Amino acid sequence: MKRNFTLIILSCLLMQCTKSSTSSSTLSTTASASTDGKGGSTARFAIAGNYLYSVDETSLKAFDISDPIHPVLKNTVSVGFSIETIFPFNDKLFIGSSTAVYIYSIQDPAKPAALGTALSPTVMRRCDPVVAKDTVAFATLRANAPCGGTRSILAVYDIKEITNPIEKGTLTLQEPYGLGYDDDVLYVCDKMVGLLVIDIRRPYNPVVIKTITDATFSDVIPYNHMLICWTDAGIKLYDISDNRNPVFLSNI
Amino acid sequence: MKRLMIPFTACVVIALTACTPDQNAPMEGQAYVPVYYSEQNIQQISTDLPKVTTDPGKIYAYGNYIFQNDKNSGIHIIDVSDKKHPRKTAFINIPFSNELAVKGHYLYADNYKDMVVFDISDPERPVMIKRMENVFKPVNQDYPPYINVLFECPDASKGVVVGWKLEMVKSPKCRR
Repeated sequence: MKRNFTLIILSCLLMQCTKSSTSSSTLSTTASASTDGKGGSTARFAIAGNYLYSVDETSLKAFDISDPIHPVLKNTVSVGFSIETIFPFNDKLFIGSSTAVYIYSIQDPAKPAALGTALSPTVMRRCDPVVAKDTVAFATLRANAPCGGTRSILAVYDIKEITNPIEKGTLTLQEPYGLGYDDDVLYVCDKMVGLLVIDIRRPYNPVVIKTITDATFSDVIPYNHMLICWTDAGIKLYDISDNRNPVFLSNI
Repeated sequence: MKRLMIPFTACVVIALTACTPDQNAPMEGQAYVPVYYSEQNIQQISTDLPKVTTDPGKIYAYGNYIFQNDKNSGIHIIDVSDKKHPRKTAFINIPFSNELAVKGHYLYADNYKDMVVFDISDPERPVMIKRMENVFKPVNQDYPPYINVLFECPDASKGVVVGWKLEMVKSPKCRR
């Protein structure tokens, strides 16, 4: 009996050894502080877990990339019309179209399921990129068609009840494109005005702190204390260790 | 009160008619022009030395690297370990590519209708390791994805329409 017991213990120890050796992480050489990558709010590709999601004008596709070199197309979901962007947040996908923001659950990553649709009562058309933070979603709605009849705004939605998003705040903008946040600061690209640094401590009452007018900004990615800006002239990098006060680093 | 009604009605009428679309297309004006690509070259992919960004596109951040698409032509790989002195390490030529995402050592991009995967363990020498054909929907071949716009009518003999560019055009014939 004693012998058996020792054997069991031994085999357990062995198993543990083999287990830890196989699970030794394959940390990428390119990764540093954050091991996850991040795209912009105007992207049509997004990676969440072991899945890559893509949106075209009408549909959402789910690719399994657990075997990174052999992606498998698992599903194509019909979403709507004039879809422009996709933004992953926790177990959800926020899909921006020219009329609405669609919210999908990816609890089953291979089968995205529709949860809700956010519409802005003040802007009937021209919905653009969207980002989500906790129980709030931010979208820029651009109305630059000659007879759009509506204004361009930053819309703030309460998404506590995900199946019923409610617009709770707006901020008037000129010609907004991409956006991104770092903690309680939101960065919004406005092609007419510049890069707006916005205080979102009270998310439904966004307040512009300052405007950076160094370039024509299209989109931003706040990433590892760095603000990566896509501009007409290339990339501009800012240090956002103090996120309310971006400090210019370099042009690429 | 009644006196005010007439100017008010006139205002409403003016405001409403001001927004009806102009039936006479201008001689020269902004219109969408098809971007063509010959189908036989569309899958040609190669790795190049770093080069100047010509038409900056979407970006993706991963670790100490930034990847930037050059619209319809490929992807720049940029090392930002030294944030004040970023350094391009390579350029991947990918015809009609506009989207990208990175995970681990792998870069995913679109190449017209296909998805392509690159091994980027060596950021100076990315290597294509996989192509998934016909997973993406091509751009509409007949008209741009906007309404109430003027555009140059596409000509199929010039190749595949891979996108639309807003340009100054002399009497664009098509309207949507």
